Amino acid sequence: MSDAAHTNSRPVAFRGGGFAPKQRRGMGVLVFVLLILLAEWGTRSGFISNLTLPRPSDVAMTFVELWQSGMLFKHLAPSLSRLAVGATLGALVGVGVGVMIGLFSYVRAGLVPLVAALFPIPKIALLPLFVIWFGIDEGSKYALIAFGTFTPTVVATYAAVDNVDRGLIRMGQSFGLSWWSIVRKIVLPGAMPGILSGLRISLAIAIILLVAAEMLGAEYGIGAYILEAGSLYDLERLFAGVVILSVLGVCVSAVIAAIETRVLRWRV
Amino acid sequence: MDLRLAGVSHTYGETEVLRDINLDIPSGQIVCIVGPSGCGKSTLLRMLGGLEQPTSGQVLQLGTPPAGCLNPLTYVFQDFALLPWRSVRGNVALVLEDHGLDAAARAQIIDDVLARTKLTEFADALPKQLSGGMKQRVAIARALAVNPAVMLMDEPLSALDSQTRELLMDDLISLWTRQPFTAVYVTHNLAEAVRLGHRIVVLSRRPGQIREVVELTTPLAERAYGDAALEAQQQHLWGLMREEAAAADAELIHV
Repeated sequence: MSDAAHTNSRPVAFRGGGFAPKQRRGMGVLVFVLLILLAEWGTRSGFISNLTLPRPSDVAMTFVELWQSGMLFKHLAPSLSRLAVGATLGALVGVGVGVMIGLFSYVRAGLVPLVAALFPIPKIALLPLFVIWFGIDEGSKYALIAFGTFTPTVVATYAAVDNVDRGLIRMGQSFGLSWWSIVRKIVLPGAMPGILSGLRISLAIAIILLVAAEMLGAEYGIGAYILEAGSLYDLERLFAGVVILSVLGVCVSAVIAAIETRVLRWRV
Repeated sequence: MDLRLAGVSHTYGETEVLRDINLDIPSGQIVCIVGPSGCGKSTLLRMLGGLEQPTSGQVLQLGTPPAGCLNPLTYVFQDFALLPWRSVRGNVALVLEDHGLDAAARAQIIDDVLARTKLTEFADALPKQLSGGMKQRVAIARALAVNPAVMLMDEPLSALDSQTRELLMDDLISLWTRQPFTAVYVTHNLAEAVRLGHRIVVLSRRPGQIREVVELTTPLAERAYGDAALEAQQQHLWGLMREEAAAADAELIHV
């Protein structure tokens, strides 16, 4: 069977492409830039009325003003400290309780139904209660953010502990490692990927609750700033506030991504 | 230190897995346990190391483990069971950390076992960077580090391709020749059994009972790949196991 015998030879068509996401640098930024340019062009040409959408350049101007007047940091500082304290508290307690649920059958039997009952409560509905419990000042805001961060962290953590390879735990036992060593050197590192991906969600929820708490009673803070702008129908300032929140979200996500690449270097 | 199984039987719920197993594991020898799939050979090994309790009967430790033995009964697992977040060195270090050794003593043990398993230059690699054969060598190094009285090997070469398996068998033989160790080696591969075993215990299908114990007298170092005498032994074992294996296979289909 030589080539000559088959006059109608042709290459086999390739059909194995696609379905494999690749990294495409700059696409994310491009989409942002295009949307902003579209809004700028629309508002300038009158295609989009100024009542529906503020002009991006005006929002930028407002932002610069905010920066120059020093008000940016007056609003940002209390917000960031509330977020830091509340989210840290909620995440720490959440990881702790989640690990306990993962390790002890009694704790699991006792707390899983409780967590299931707490999870769907819109935490913001409890703010009046928190104000009475923890005071009108920072305490109630910390508590609200901590509580909102706590529930998703617990669920992610105990699921992550459940997913640690039992074979590795048996290995630890077979080498006579102490219980504490097994928890510290096998269970916790093994649960780390799940805990970190849970934290991504918890921290996004923390930002949402931060704004909610500040809208309900704060003199300074991004939430208060947005609420004030909204009630005056000052769209430029409203959008400037929203942009700050988005940037905050992107930063938090970037921090977790950085932690992941550092801590989870071993992942295949 | 010897191990003895005395009248060991085991059931999982309704299923009887092992029936009246009596077996001695003398020190300095490699005892291979072969049998059709599902005959309870891995269960038997888990009992030997105290990871599972028999329904009836006893697992006895005869004599005391030699001095300097950190973990008398030490496993080598089929799936290697390496911590993916620790380097080769870190994985070996893990099993030494709970024994109150100072850092210098630990480092000395680690360097020694890595050299014996020819892993010195890979000390800082992560498991994901290693091939299957290398991973199992790390697991063997880890087992050697605690200076075990008995090594319990659960199909240690079954996850590897056949070339790697040959290489690792050679490694195990040279390790044993240089410093004889006691081992219980569970496998379904008869070629491995006749290469590595001083005694080969043939189990029947479920419920597992001892069908025959074959003693091999040829020294390990003289058993080569494709040896005619070994081939004959392997034929004999296959003769014993063939019907059992076929029956065990059919059993699964009928379930």
